[in-house]
Amino acid sequence: MAKVVEAARAEPGVVVAREAMFTCSDATQSEIVQDITDNQLDGLVVASCSPKLHTLTFREVARRAGLNPYQYTQVNIREQCSWAHTDDPQGATQKATKLVRAGIARTALSEALHPLDVETTPRVVVVGGGVAGLRAALGLSDIGLEAVLVEREEHLGGLVASLGPMSPHGRSGHEVVARLVEEVARRPGITVLTGAEVVSKAGTYANYHLVVKRGDELLELDAGQVIVATGAEPYQPAEGEYGYGLEGVVTLPQFEALLQAGEGPVAYQGRPLRSVAYVYCVGSRDEQHPYCSRFCCSATVHAALQLAARNPGVSQYHLYRDLRTYGSNEALLSQSRQRGSVFVRFADDDPPEVTRGTTDGGLQVTVRDQLTAGEELRVAADLVVLVTGLVPHDDPGLVRALKLPVGRDGFYNEVHPKLRPVETVVDGVSICGTCQGPKTSAEAVTSGLAAVALAGALLKAGVAQLDPQVAKVDPVHCDGCGTCVASCPFGAISMVDGRASVDPAGCKGCGGCVPVCPRDAIDLKGYTDAQVRAAIDALAQGVLA
Amino acid sequence: MTSGGNAGGGWDALVVGSGIGGMESALKLGGMGYRVLVVEKEPSVGGKMILLSKVFPTLDCASCISTPKMAATAHHPNVTVLTDARVERVTPKGDGTFAVKVHQEPRYVDTSACTGCRQCEMACTVAVPDQFNGALVSRRAAYIAFPQAVPQKALIERAGTSPCTFNCPAGIKAHGYASLVRSGLYEEAFNLVAETTPLVGSLGRACYAPCEAACTRGQLEGPVPLRRLKRFVADTHYASAPSRPVPSLAGPPTGKRVAVVGSGPAGLTAAWLLGRKGHHVKIFEAGPEPGGALRLAIPSYRLPVEVVERDIANLKEVGAEIVTGSRVDDLAALRREGFDAVLVATGTPLAAKLGVPGEDELSGVRPALGFLREIKLGQAPDLSGQSVVVVGGGNVAIDAARSALRLGAQAVHLACLERRGEMPAYEWEVDEALAEGVELHDGWGIAGFVGDDGQGGRPGAVRAVQLMRCTSVFGPDGRFSPTYDPQERSELACQLVVVAIGMGVDVAAFPELANGGRTLQADPVTLQTALPWVFAAGDAVSGPSTIAKAVGQGRRAAHMVDRWLAGLPLDGLPSPLPEVDRSSVLARQSSHSYRAPLAPAPGAVPFPKDFAETEPVLTEDEARAAASRCLDCGVCSECHQCVKACPAGAIDLDMRPQDFELEVPAVVVSTGYNLFPAENKPQYGYGQYPNVITGVQMERLLAPTRPYNSVLRPSDGKAPERVAYVMCTGSRDQTVGNPLCSKFCCMYSLKQAQLVMGALPLAEVTVHYIDIRAVGKGYEEFFEQAKAMGTNFVRGRVASIKQVGDGNLVLRYEDVDGGGGLAEAEYDLVVLAVGVQPNPEAAGLFAPGKLALSPYAYVDEPDEDLNPAATGTPGVFVAGSASGPRDIPESVLHAGAAAAQAAAWIERSRRTREAMAL
Repeated sequence: MAKVVEAARAEPGVVVAREAMFTCSDATQSEIVQDITDNQLDGLVVASCSPKLHTLTFREVARRAGLNPYQYTQVNIREQCSWAHTDDPQGATQKATKLVRAGIARTALSEALHPLDVETTPRVVVVGGGVAGLRAALGLSDIGLEAVLVEREEHLGGLVASLGPMSPHGRSGHEVVARLVEEVARRPGITVLTGAEVVSKAGTYANYHLVVKRGDELLELDAGQVIVATGAEPYQPAEGEYGYGLEGVVTLPQFEALLQAGEGPVAYQGRPLRSVAYVYCVGSRDEQHPYCSRFCCSATVHAALQLAARNPGVSQYHLYRDLRTYGSNEALLSQSRQRGSVFVRFADDDPPEVTRGTTDGGLQVTVRDQLTAGEELRVAADLVVLVTGLVPHDDPGLVRALKLPVGRDGFYNEVHPKLRPVETVVDGVSICGTCQGPKTSAEAVTSGLAAVALAGALLKAGVAQLDPQVAKVDPVHCDGCGTCVASCPFGAISMVDGRASVDPAGCKGCGGCVPVCPRDAIDLKGYTDAQVRAAIDALAQGVLA
Repeated sequence: MTSGGNAGGGWDALVVGSGIGGMESALKLGGMGYRVLVVEKEPSVGGKMILLSKVFPTLDCASCISTPKMAATAHHPNVTVLTDARVERVTPKGDGTFAVKVHQEPRYVDTSACTGCRQCEMACTVAVPDQFNGALVSRRAAYIAFPQAVPQKALIERAGTSPCTFNCPAGIKAHGYASLVRSGLYEEAFNLVAETTPLVGSLGRACYAPCEAACTRGQLEGPVPLRRLKRFVADTHYASAPSRPVPSLAGPPTGKRVAVVGSGPAGLTAAWLLGRKGHHVKIFEAGPEPGGALRLAIPSYRLPVEVVERDIANLKEVGAEIVTGSRVDDLAALRREGFDAVLVATGTPLAAKLGVPGEDELSGVRPALGFLREIKLGQAPDLSGQSVVVVGGGNVAIDAARSALRLGAQAVHLACLERRGEMPAYEWEVDEALAEGVELHDGWGIAGFVGDDGQGGRPGAVRAVQLMRCTSVFGPDGRFSPTYDPQERSELACQLVVVAIGMGVDVAAFPELANGGRTLQADPVTLQTALPWVFAAGDAVSGPSTIAKAVGQGRRAAHMVDRWLAGLPLDGLPSPLPEVDRSSVLARQSSHSYRAPLAPAPGAVPFPKDFAETEPVLTEDEARAAASRCLDCGVCSECHQCVKACPAGAIDLDMRPQDFELEVPAVVVSTGYNLFPAENKPQYGYGQYPNVITGVQMERLLAPTRPYNSVLRPSDGKAPERVAYVMCTGSRDQTVGNPLCSKFCCMYSLKQAQLVMGALPLAEVTVHYIDIRAVGKGYEEFFEQAKAMGTNFVRGRVASIKQVGDGNLVLRYEDVDGGGGLAEAEYDLVVLAVGVQPNPEAAGLFAPGKLALSPYAYVDEPDEDLNPAATGTPGVFVAGSASGPRDIPESVLHAGAAAAQAAAWIERSRRTREAMAL
């Protein structure tokens, strides 16, 4: 260590070089501040551990000492040097010396940079007026952000508006929607635009300009964030799929509508139901729809429990592949078993057949039950319910307007499904609800609120500080060829008076434009060509000479 | 990021728990500009996610994606994290805010000074199961939780004070030197004892070892022989250690002079410690040799003279002077001579008398102290052919009787008031005395002596002792109050009577320190006397006690004298942590392997002829084996190696818990879930068969920072070729009281199946399942991928697991696809896909019944359809698995919702407060 310090001290421009046992400790930090102020230093190099750990620590030290935080360089001589070369201490010392020299060279050419303060627009456009969008609008208004709800249909409410009691709590879907719509109407901070669609989005960080088309009218809206909550739609089986088209073969939504119609025993075509067969996974977990629709197992078991309560003595047969009554929905499954539901498992490659019976004209479902050693069962049913899942909307206009990332399954993709489940790769656009994949109503509402929290974190302060390490064009050298404009994945470069110009609020500092410029007219602040070249020269010193 | 101390005030929200849900809520609330306090009970933020291998369905490295979140939480300007802290109670105040009580556990490491260099960990001598690695390997008691822990700061695990250390009256770290001996660090062990007293060799022989009586291992095969370990350490040091330059251990000179009057255990200990503090100490001893009872009373077969002399020679290392034959009777004169403080530790030099006719007149009746002292000074009488009666039932009487045997006495009678079981002497001492040939006459009082008539001015010589039956020793109040039956009499012929019925303080020597009692008067805590510059300690203050107690008094006196010399208040002697409960120590052992205790020392030989030590020294192997039997009751042994190793001086074992209160408008409960304890499904053999592990343990085997650097089975380190997964362990199972589905076990098992096949290309993985619940974005596709990679799926519940042969396991299961019969299959390794249980800590934050729970004991969300994350208590929100099993993305979404809800609540209550203020 002492050798490294000695070598550093000999470098041009170095005023103070010190060794410290614990550089990040409070005591050494204070010493650094003292050295900077005493000697009026204009650069700081810390050679210790990974910049991942302590870049922010020492930027703060620099700031406390009155030095610009961007005139400090972290040199990693621990993870990338001493720890990696424990077998060769001398070699490690030489390498550390060079790394430090390179850090000094880079720092000598550094300039003071200042974070870009950007005022943010305290308004969020929510696209889609189903439960997720409605709840998001309310949540935004709760935390003091303005919300504009853009709904394609003439009415708010989406898919849930048509639902009766929902699993697992039995709360009615249309009542949930009614409460949300009523509350939204009362809020002065929420503007509702029905029969409207977003047609374009432009602008930079937290200051976007949207164009919304309502009828023939084009409305312009400023927004800090766009939340997409456009939902999904129930799968519509093809004619003949599991007997669909036969009298008495219905989809899950149709069955739910039946349950909602009237009181007392549930009837189909005027006749109370005595026997119902459910065929699960229709339009899910198949070649066209390789995903699981998540909500349908629980919703079906929940519906079967309602039917059992209203039609005592009804026979119910559930033909399934895997029963996915996850979490506390499992309790519904146990209850439905107790209430007489019979569960029959069919193999993935051996689906049941739904036919019209020959003798009485009723429906007959033929299935080989894996739970009873593959025995073939024939179930006579008054009604066959095809447990249909959700499929994505096909909405090319919106996808184009917002550059929405669409997954292979047709649902919109988040930037990271694990830890950033409502953010997208598109700046200023987040997603929630079933437009990103099948969910229950409560889960859609939850994700809507998560999108609110994200918008709040981005916009509530009213001002954002952006990293100043962005690209800069030297107008003298730029010849206006435009190569960089095409290379920018963020659309942050435009041509102004025949020269490229970087919008610092749009630039992410990725540096992608720097090497494509044929005139070397672009520099990334903090990593300028001159700095990088000086660092390389310093590293190579003594090697090539 | 802070840890420890008061966290300040002005909080908008409290987040309890810093798993993925807690971190997300905190970051989102912090991002919105609210000031957030996160309280985490573990030493690091990150919860359970950071311990995973990879995450489904993306197969991202769990550490790689969670460490940035952990760092962001710790460094967010609006978020303060308290680790090692527990929220004790949240109480709604009625005005929309909450009073919160927080309990901060000490880390015993100053986190502002600690740099995470791990020197303490490398120096630590205690190994404990590493809970962050599923207890598959051990870690040290001084440790950093795991490689990615935030903060990257050490802590020391302490369950309390180990019973041995707690019960040492001298304050010696018994557990500490045992763990040092176990580690082969004998010199360090000597030095640890020497932090308290220079009398290492003497205590190693003559201490009555209350530590061993307290030893938890005593409840198994027998206690750790702590005293003999100390003797081993002393003998090793004295035999081998190069002598230290004199006075190498003296502290930087303070210029203060202290006189210590008396050179028994209390005086020597105090002088030693004061010397180490840099004071100049001079010891005044009235007798011809220093050492008090150690040197002049305890017989050499228990404590050889050379050992005492060697212990006393230690005092040169601190520059203390000893003058013998120098009786102090004028304390003021010492003051005039320039001593800044005086410590009186003169012990109990006076012998109690029987008060029976003939006692003073007859020759051959003498007090035990004088008798023993002559022997120790090499002036032993020849008792060949004589009969000796020793009067008394205490340890001194036993010493006198056994010494008399060694001097050739033909018969030695021990007469005492007490019956055998009541004798104050330690039972083993009595046993050994009897084995050596001492005849016991218990339950007899002394009625008188028969002697010759004196001739020519010479006193008469004793010829016999007259005994009288003692009917009871203690009165109804428990006090000493003997009663006799004068009718029952006996007589013992003898030529010598040694009276050992008690010792007393020479109160008359220091009238200014007496106030009429039998002992010198000093404050029991500060040991300061009526003369502020005079302190008194040891048996002179307490009356006759033990060496260890006297050492403890000496230690206390040194501390107080040092404080007084520095002008500081007389307090600050650190009190130990509470004693660890032995039953909890035994309960936390997953198994006890039998560890044979030392073979007992050879029994006493009848009529020994010399004063050679009776107890053999331990060999190095014996010492290490014996020390290895230690159960590490307090976890940290206080061996102080970390204190010495820490280059930053960051370790402070005297840190203590702190409690504080704060007020906050909103609370987010993100206490997560508990894993199903797989032991509760005994038919699966977890905890019984080493190759039955849980899914969490498999996560660790697969993680980048994994314990074995490969997937190996625990019993024999073999790479498993056939791996089975048992789904729904503790889920969907009424027999264990959990009817619910745990939601994510299917998915983590599918993930692990793929990772195992990746890590062990030859391994075959079979999943025994009921339903595969791949519900979530990309999950079904992930299931298909696991199938395509060759995972076998066998439908049907597993009934039982039995171990066969060399650790393989036979699963008995229902084979649904194969016709529904029972089938068996053999595997090398079985992974139990354990489910989750509600964490009762969530409800425990509030007064009983104040936080509504669902029927399944998760935190209830009464309006989940419209207001997810809102609990039944306004202002209290729940994030993540505290309200039901959730996987990571669901937890993140739910935590986002909790943040939005909490923000809405904070805004609303702010508006209400503002409206009320208007």
